Amino acid sequence: MSLATRNALIALAVTIVVVGTVIYAVNYLDQRRVANLSSIQDQLATDTLSVETQFALLEEAPCEYITESNTLSATLADLGARLVFAEERLGATDPQVLRLKKQYTLLQIRDYLLTKRLARVCEADSPVALYFYSNVPGSCADCNRASYALSYLHETYPNLRVYSFDYNLDLGALKTLIAMEKIRSEFPAFVIEGKRSYGFTSLDVLEKEFPKGALVASTTASTTQKSR
Amino acid sequence: MQIEYIAYPFLFIAIYFEIFLLLTFLGSHGRTSRARALATHTPKVAIIVPCWNEETTVAGTVHSLLALDYPADRLQIILVDDGSTDGTGAAMAQFDTEPRVLVLRKENGGKHTAINAGIELAGDADIIGCLDADSFVDRTALREMIAYFDDAKVAAVTPAMSVNNPRTALERMQNAEYIFGIGWRHALALVNGIFVTPGPFSLYRRSVVDELGGFRYAHQAEDMEMALRMQRHGWHIENAPRARVYTKVPRNVFRLIKQRTRWTTGFLRNVLLDYRDLVGNPKHKVLGLMVLPFGFLAVSGGIMLFCVAVFMTAKQLVTTVATVNGVPLSYVLTPHFSLGWFYVPITFLVLLGLVASVFSITFMVLGKRISGTPGNLWLDMLAYCLLYGLVAPWWLLRAVMDVAFGTRRSWR
Repeated sequence: MSLATRNALIALAVTIVVVGTVIYAVNYLDQRRVANLSSIQDQLATDTLSVETQFALLEEAPCEYITESNTLSATLADLGARLVFAEERLGATDPQVLRLKKQYTLLQIRDYLLTKRLARVCEADSPVALYFYSNVPGSCADCNRASYALSYLHETYPNLRVYSFDYNLDLGALKTLIAMEKIRSEFPAFVIEGKRSYGFTSLDVLEKEFPKGALVASTTASTTQKSR
Repeated sequence: MQIEYIAYPFLFIAIYFEIFLLLTFLGSHGRTSRARALATHTPKVAIIVPCWNEETTVAGTVHSLLALDYPADRLQIILVDDGSTDGTGAAMAQFDTEPRVLVLRKENGGKHTAINAGIELAGDADIIGCLDADSFVDRTALREMIAYFDDAKVAAVTPAMSVNNPRTALERMQNAEYIFGIGWRHALALVNGIFVTPGPFSLYRRSVVDELGGFRYAHQAEDMEMALRMQRHGWHIENAPRARVYTKVPRNVFRLIKQRTRWTTGFLRNVLLDYRDLVGNPKHKVLGLMVLPFGFLAVSGGIMLFCVAVFMTAKQLVTTVATVNGVPLSYVLTPHFSLGWFYVPITFLVLLGLVASVFSITFMVLGKRISGTPGNLWLDMLAYCLLYGLVAPWWLLRAVMDVAFGTRRSWR
């Protein structure tokens, strides 16, 4: 075997090993991301349960004792951002992403219910927006714009809580929420302070959906969920 | 299918070829070749300097040749003025009294006619050298190269080229590329895969040049044509990595694109039209099975990668503009990115590109090391990393268009 032939074969083997290592490294990093999301989600589930338990224990005067809700929502927002990144990396149909997304959606619904309860009992006054989007290709031309506008509103008005849901996610609790809020399959769909609306035209129009004075530009209550 | 998938086969082949050349470079044959001592014997050498409008550089070129470490009676320098219209003739005239220098003035006929005219004046020289009139040789370059002619199968020897005194970012970018070429060309020579004997100081065995019929018109790439003709006839082309030659390079991007378009069309036309029989021919081993086919892949891959990058950037830009429309600019222009390992954008494409770049940088470091080329390579590499990908696709695109539509351009 000539020197060139020998080197050509060795080079092929080395290239396959190098490319294989690259594939392994990329997959390993993605798996670490999924593991990271799982870990945050587990912690979040425990925290949510803790707040709910506190609420149940202190049925009569829970407000001054429930201090974890704000931290919980901030963590939920971080988890949402990570999940969006993981979804872009691994694809919306990846089974692990779907599993995590379902858990995240459940946590969002629980946080939403908790927020409503706190608002009622403790007279907290944070505006809430439910945002329903669709990942089905061609079904929502304006969802990216709507998501970006909601991100802007959240950053500008920190008292705003935004919960975003993938309409087509196969999850019983989400289907119940959709049925309760009577959301049609038109996207993007919003429920702002209990009022439904469909479609996104501009940031100004969306902003006007909120009651006058509800959005506060500076506050210490940074407890919102980031949009999709 | 995602559009980035198109890039994967090109990157795989690029990495494969780089690993192949690296293995060749690091092997025992490479070490033996690099350990070769300076020549002690001194065959008669005639160095031809073909000139066309080189009034500013030709004197420096000749002075560097006169300073070569070589017996005066064994070295002849032949300056051929190929119908220059500037002060080249006057610049040459200052060497009229130098006994080692012959000056020939002729009507303009192209580089190959100038070299052939010089060969006719070379008398009984055993070795013919060609040096572009914008290049300068290191004192020991000739002795370094002569040593390789000990092997009777060797018809030509190429040097280690770098940029003469690089200063601007564009010159530094080209210097990094030239230094990369030193390591690359040396590895190619080890498997007889060289397909061009560059104008800045290549040496030829006189008997082989005569046997092959001298230089001929070859789509403005006469040095490439001669190398391919030698390869077709079974000769070997060597490389002397310590034979340093410094050359002037284009100082603005338009001249650079013009020069490289000429080189690339020269490659495409010579190989496609006149030397197609070499491509894929097992008789020509690495040259036929790897170097020439991969040369075509490099041209098409470079264009393809550029198009993919432009498409992806444009798509992202359109999406971003549509998404942020209506949101205040103060928010849009504020960077919104998250730190931490979770968000590091490592993808298959990015990592493969990184691997290919690491091998390229390795060749640059090796090229500088084996040639002993002076200068700050890190600055050159920085310029290369920042600029090369933005500039190179334009000459590749232009060259392919020229070949496809039969466009012929002037030399300068």
